Amino acid sequence: MSTRAATTLDRAAPARRGVPLPRRVLDALLSDVGARITSYVVFLLGWQILSALYDRVPGPIEVVEMLVDEFQRGVVWDNFSVTADRFFTGLVFALVAGLVLGLLIGMWPLARALLKDTMTVGLAIPAIIWALLTALWFGFNWKAPVLTVALTATPFVAVNVTQGVQAVPRDLLRMSKAFGVPVGRRVRLLVLPFVMDYVFTGLRFGIILGWNGVLLSEWFASTEGVGWQARYWYDANNFTGFVAWVVLFVGFIVIFDRLILVPIQNRVFRWRTTIARR
Amino acid sequence: MANVAVEGRGLRVPGLGSRRWRQAAAVVLGWLAFFGVWAFASQVLFDPNRLPGPLDVADAMGTIIGSGDVLTHFSSSLGKISLGFGLAVLIGVPIGFLMGRTRYWKAFFHDPVIVAGSIPGITYAVLALVIFGIGLEGPILATALISMPYIALNVSAGLEGIDASLMTMSRAFRRPRKDVIRHVLVPSIAPFVFAGVRLSFALAWKVEALTEVFGSSKGIGFMIRRSYQLFSVVDVLAWTGLFVIFMLLLERLVVRAERHLFRWRPQETSA
Repeated sequence: MSTRAATTLDRAAPARRGVPLPRRVLDALLSDVGARITSYVVFLLGWQILSALYDRVPGPIEVVEMLVDEFQRGVVWDNFSVTADRFFTGLVFALVAGLVLGLLIGMWPLARALLKDTMTVGLAIPAIIWALLTALWFGFNWKAPVLTVALTATPFVAVNVTQGVQAVPRDLLRMSKAFGVPVGRRVRLLVLPFVMDYVFTGLRFGIILGWNGVLLSEWFASTEGVGWQARYWYDANNFTGFVAWVVLFVGFIVIFDRLILVPIQNRVFRWRTTIARR
Repeated sequence: MANVAVEGRGLRVPGLGSRRWRQAAAVVLGWLAFFGVWAFASQVLFDPNRLPGPLDVADAMGTIIGSGDVLTHFSSSLGKISLGFGLAVLIGVPIGFLMGRTRYWKAFFHDPVIVAGSIPGITYAVLALVIFGIGLEGPILATALISMPYIALNVSAGLEGIDASLMTMSRAFRRPRKDVIRHVLVPSIAPFVFAGVRLSFALAWKVEALTEVFGSSKGIGFMIRRSYQLFSVVDVLAWTGLFVIFMLLLERLVVRAERHLFRWRPQETSA
């Protein structure tokens, strides 16, 4: 609550600086909610200015009109269900593969030796490469997007699971080994609880990057889906349509992240106050 | 490092030499397995035209290196990344600073930074192409926009993590502002900044290449795009290989710099 904040706020405030502001309005503007609303207003203004500067950038109002049109045409749900189907199939695959690989690498020295560098390489390969390669391999069908998501997200899940396994207290592991606790119980009662938070971190990264991957793959090798629809408008030189679809797929990932993943993660992470929490 | 020693079984004497040797052998084994699976997939599962084996790809990489294309395109990409990343630091650090110090600005920047951090890279790539065409500004701006949120978030997390008692003590002993910044603020934020830099640098590389795939006349992404349009899987893989090697080398450089800077620390704090 500094005075610095008040000066920049004048932009959104109806009153000018010389006029004495009612105390309540100032308080409302300086509150957290006020700050958030101000930031959205500034964003919309910035967008408007950008669209005035570049004629190829559509303004917010045109985009909203276009969105209403698209919803009325009924193409939104069709394309989203196609893409979501591919996205979640790939994601489930990545989750299972990443969990297995991560546990192996974390618990078994030989697996670590064999797979650790492969995972590092996997982390470094951008989604676009998988999108292009799968397009070359499989052509235009469902395999390319599903595989792109799986291949992009798997290393992120695996690496995080490995880190989680390594965070398991060594003493407890050695003690359970010494007392002859079976491997199944060791994994279930000791390793998994430690690994869960890391799985979520990896999963969130996997989801954000996998979503990008599915869109890319559909952009290059599909005739349906959200990515294809964005490309359709792009190829038609209709940037209003393109930006409308950008709003849709950004909106999807943000809502998915905020409403589903963050609440789960915050529950798991409530005891922690590090940068892992956003 | 310590984990490796703990996990060895049996009555081995944990001498330094044997551990080093084991580690080197493991690394070699890992790479052999990687190339072995790749070669097997290429020869048996698919056919060499659809998935060329490691030797074919190495051959293609050799040709690319021999022709000098590597230097022109990598320097072009690297230049754009450095500029974009510099821009991201210039914008991200002040935003993170404001977010870490002031409640108002934290609320103000929270949503935009979170949203910007989860926007798929394809958005930036295509928007950059729409707005700037195939010029230099597109990749630079895309790089800056994708890395900025992570830098800002990490700087603000670093500021929030500052030991409050250190600040109180500095005030009690009337240390000048300059000293407080130099000896308390900077050392506490630096590890977080590095963590943010490492994470966002990997992202920046990828988005830069992506932007070049969509619209560019030079750079590594452009070459990948060209290979794709010629249906040459070998060249796509060769450029990918060079890209990965280059990225891993750069990352190692950053890690080494980090270790060097924080060698006085007993334990690394970065995630």
